[in-house]
Amino acid sequence: MPKRLSNRAMRLVSPALIPVLFFIIATAAPLFAQNDFYKGKTITIIVGTKAGDAYDLYPRLMAEYLPKYLPGSPNVIIQNMPGAASMIAANNAYNVAKPDGLTIGAIYPALYFDQLSKKPEARFDWSKFQFIGSPVVSNHLLYMRADAPYKSVEDIKKAATPPKCGSNGTSSTGYWLPKLLEEVIGTKFDIVVGYQSGGDVDLAVERGEMQCRAFTITAWFAREPFITWRKTGFANVLFQTGSKRDPRIKDAPTIYELMDKYKATPTSRQLTTVVLASGDFGRPLVFGPKVPQDRVKLLRDAFDKIVKDPAYLADAEKRKLDIDPIEGLKLQKLSKEVVAATPEVVERMKKLLGSD
Amino acid sequence: MLDAFISGFWQVLAWPAFGYLLIGIVIGFWVGLLPGIGGLATLALMLPFSYTIKTPIEAFCFLLGMLAVTGTTGDLTSILFGIPGESSSAALILDGYPMSKKGEAGRALGAAIMSSLLGATIGALSLAVSIPIMRPLVLLFGSPELFIITIMGITFIGTLAGTSLIKGLLAGGVGLMLAAIGVDPQTGSLRYTFGSLYLWDGLDVTPVVVGMFAIPEIIDLAVRGTSISQAPKEKLKGVMEGVKDTFRHFWLVVRCSLIGVYFGVLPVLGANVAQWIAYGHAARSLKDKSRAGKGAVEGVLGPGAANNSTRGGDLIPTIAFGIPGSASMALLLGALLIVGLQPGPEMLKSRLDVTFAMVWILIISNIIVAGISFLILNHLAALTFIRGSLLIPFLLVLVFIGSFTANNSIYDLMVTLIFGTLGYCMLLYGWPRPPLVLGLILGKIGENYLWISTAAYGARWLLFPSVLILIVLTVSIVAYPTIKERRGRAKYDRPEDAV
Repeated sequence: MPKRLSNRAMRLVSPALIPVLFFIIATAAPLFAQNDFYKGKTITIIVGTKAGDAYDLYPRLMAEYLPKYLPGSPNVIIQNMPGAASMIAANNAYNVAKPDGLTIGAIYPALYFDQLSKKPEARFDWSKFQFIGSPVVSNHLLYMRADAPYKSVEDIKKAATPPKCGSNGTSSTGYWLPKLLEEVIGTKFDIVVGYQSGGDVDLAVERGEMQCRAFTITAWFAREPFITWRKTGFANVLFQTGSKRDPRIKDAPTIYELMDKYKATPTSRQLTTVVLASGDFGRPLVFGPKVPQDRVKLLRDAFDKIVKDPAYLADAEKRKLDIDPIEGLKLQKLSKEVVAATPEVVERMKKLLGSD
Repeated sequence: MLDAFISGFWQVLAWPAFGYLLIGIVIGFWVGLLPGIGGLATLALMLPFSYTIKTPIEAFCFLLGMLAVTGTTGDLTSILFGIPGESSSAALILDGYPMSKKGEAGRALGAAIMSSLLGATIGALSLAVSIPIMRPLVLLFGSPELFIITIMGITFIGTLAGTSLIKGLLAGGVGLMLAAIGVDPQTGSLRYTFGSLYLWDGLDVTPVVVGMFAIPEIIDLAVRGTSISQAPKEKLKGVMEGVKDTFRHFWLVVRCSLIGVYFGVLPVLGANVAQWIAYGHAARSLKDKSRAGKGAVEGVLGPGAANNSTRGGDLIPTIAFGIPGSASMALLLGALLIVGLQPGPEMLKSRLDVTFAMVWILIISNIIVAGISFLILNHLAALTFIRGSLLIPFLLVLVFIGSFTANNSIYDLMVTLIFGTLGYCMLLYGWPRPPLVLGLILGKIGENYLWISTAAYGARWLLFPSVLILIVLTVSIVAYPTIKERRGRAKYDRPEDAV
C-alpha cells in the first residue's frame, strides 16, 4: 500500500520537484507546529516582585498585548514570585520552569551582579538567559528626605553620620547604587536591607525610619507617593545615573559628573560601566536557556511589534509607564559583555556587594 | 464630604455598576466556599476582565465585591467540614466545626454570616471615619513596633486558655522555625532547603493550614464512621439562633471587628493574622474557659467578624499613600491604575466619591451575600447529616485541589500530607495547632522587622516608649491568665453563664 502510494506520487510529481517538496515540508512543518504550539496554551509570566510594583506593571501591560501578536493567541497570566530581589523568580525561570516556552521571567536587571560575585544562590548564567526584550531602559536616581541634613552628595561626603537608605535585597538598586557611589567616590551610606518591597521602603521613609532610597527614574515619575512628594518637596533627588541629566531632574548631577569632580580612578569608571549596564537591561523579559529557538524568536518578534503598537503606547501613557524599548538581541549581546568583566572589576564588584 | 458619601452610594447602585457587583459576588461566593482557592488568586485571575470596564467604580464593584464575599463564604466551609475555605477562615474551625458535630451547624452558620456582615460594616465604616486621620494612623507604627506586635501575636495565641502555656509557646516556636525555611530575605542565602527548589519560597501557608486542620478531621470522621453531626436531626438548631447570638455578644463582635481593622491597617499583617488574634480574644472572654474549642459560639463570632473587617483596614494605607496594605490590595491598586485613577492622596480629595463607593461596596456586597446565604443555610447545614463514608472522598478531593492551587506543585500535596499527619499527632497528644500556624505566618514578617529595626536603630529601639509599652503588654498576656487562674482557683469555679 505505501509503495503503491509513493509510485503514484512519483508519477504525479516530477522527480525534480521532490527535493523542493521535502524542503517545503521540512521547513513548514515546524512552522505550523509552532503556530499551533501556543494555540489554547497559557503563558505564565513569573514576576519577581509583589503585584503593584513598577517591575510588575510593565509585564502586566505586556501580558495584555501578547495574545494579539503571538500566533495562536495564547492566554497570558501573571504569577508574582517575590523575594530576594527577584532571584527566586530568576532561578525558577532558569531551572524549574519547563523549557517549553510557556514560562517567561520578568526579573531585576542587576542579577548578573550575583553571578559575577559568585553567590551560590545565583543558579544561572546571565548570558544564557534568552532575552526577549525590555520595554524600557532605566536610569536610576537616589532620593533623600528634604528634612534630612544632606542636601547634596557633597553633604553626605562630609557628614559624620551617614544617611540611612532602605532596600529590599542586595541586587536591588536600593542596595547597589549607594554602594557604587561609596566605592567610586567614597561617600558613606548606611544601607538597611530587608524590606519586603520598594513600597515598604517608601513608607519607612515617610515614617522617618529611613531617609533615602535609590531606584528608577521611571518610578519616580510614574506613581504615588512620589507624585505627592515632588509636589510638596518632601524629598529631593541627589544624583542620577544617565550619561546626561534627565531634563525633568536637571538639578541633580549625574554619577559621571561626580566621578569627574572627585577624580575617580579608571578601574572605578570601568566598574561603573559594568554596574550601570543593568540600567540598559531595564525590566527584562527572559526565557530559560533550553527554550527552543523558534519559540524565542516568536516572542521576540511579538515583543518588537508590541512596543511599536500605538494602542500599547497609549495604554502605557495612561498608566504613566515610560516606554523606551531595547530588543532582545541587543540585550543578549550586552549580557555576554557584562559576564566577561575583568577579574579586577569583578573583585571590586564583590567588595561592592559585600559578598567577600 | 457628605455629597461624596451619598454620590458613592448611588454610583454603586447605578447600572451597570450594580450588575458587575452581582457578578463579582457570585464568583466570590464559590471561590470562598472552595477550600484553598483564595480570594487573592481569584483576584489575579479576574483582573484582566476588569481592563475592559470603563469607570473605576464599576471595576471596583466587580473586584472588591468579589474579594469582600470570599471572606464570608470561606467561613462556611470551615464550619461545615472542618476544612478552611480560605486560609483566613481557619480559626473558625476551632469552635465552628465542633458546633457542627454537636448538630448546631445551622446556628454556627447563622452566627458566622451575621458576624461577617457586622464585621464588614464596621470595617467599611472605620475606613470612612478614618479618612481624615488616615496618614498619621498608618505612620504610627514603625518596624520596631511591628516586630513586637508579631511576637505579641504568637504569645497571645500560645497562651490561650485551655492549653498548657509551655506547649502553646513551644508550638509557636516551631512555627517560627518553619518560617525560616526558604530564601532569606536579607542576603538571599538558602535556609533548610535541602537542595529542593520548592522550599526556596518557604512553606506556603495554604497547604500547611489545610493539612493541619482538615486532614485530622477527615481521619476522625472516617474513624467514627458516622456523619459529621453526631446529634440526632431533631436537635438541628436554626440559623436564627446564630443571628441572635451575634447580638447577644454584640460588643465582642465589635471588638473583634476593630481587631480586624487594626491588623488590616498594619502593613503585611492582615486577615490571616487577625482571625487568630480575634479568636484568642473571643476564647479569653469566655467565662467558662473549658468551652473553648468545644463549640462555643463566641469562637465563631470573633474570627468571623475579624476576617471581614480587615478588608476595610487594608484599604486605608492603599488609599492614603498609594502603597498597598496587603497582596490583594496591591492587585486592586493595579486595577485602579488601569482604569486611570492614581491611588493615593488624590482619592481623599478629588475622587472622594470613589473612596466612599468602596465603603459602600464592602457593605452592600456583604448584605447581599448574607441574604443569599440565609436562603440556603439550612440546606448547607443538612450536609453535616450525610454519612461520613459518602462525604470523605469528596472532602479529600477538595482538600488536595485546594492545596495544589498554592503553587501548582506536587510538593504542595506532600506538604499537606506531612502537616496533616503532624496535625493529627498534635491533636492526639493535646498540642495546640493555632500557635504553630501563626508562628509560620508571622515568622518571616517578624524576622524582617527585627532585622530592619536593628539595622536602623541599633539596640536603641528596645528603649522606644512605644516598644516598651508593647513589651509590657506582651508580658502581661503571659502573666495575666496565670494570675487570674490562681485567683480563680482560690474562689470557686463560676457556673456556666456565658451563653
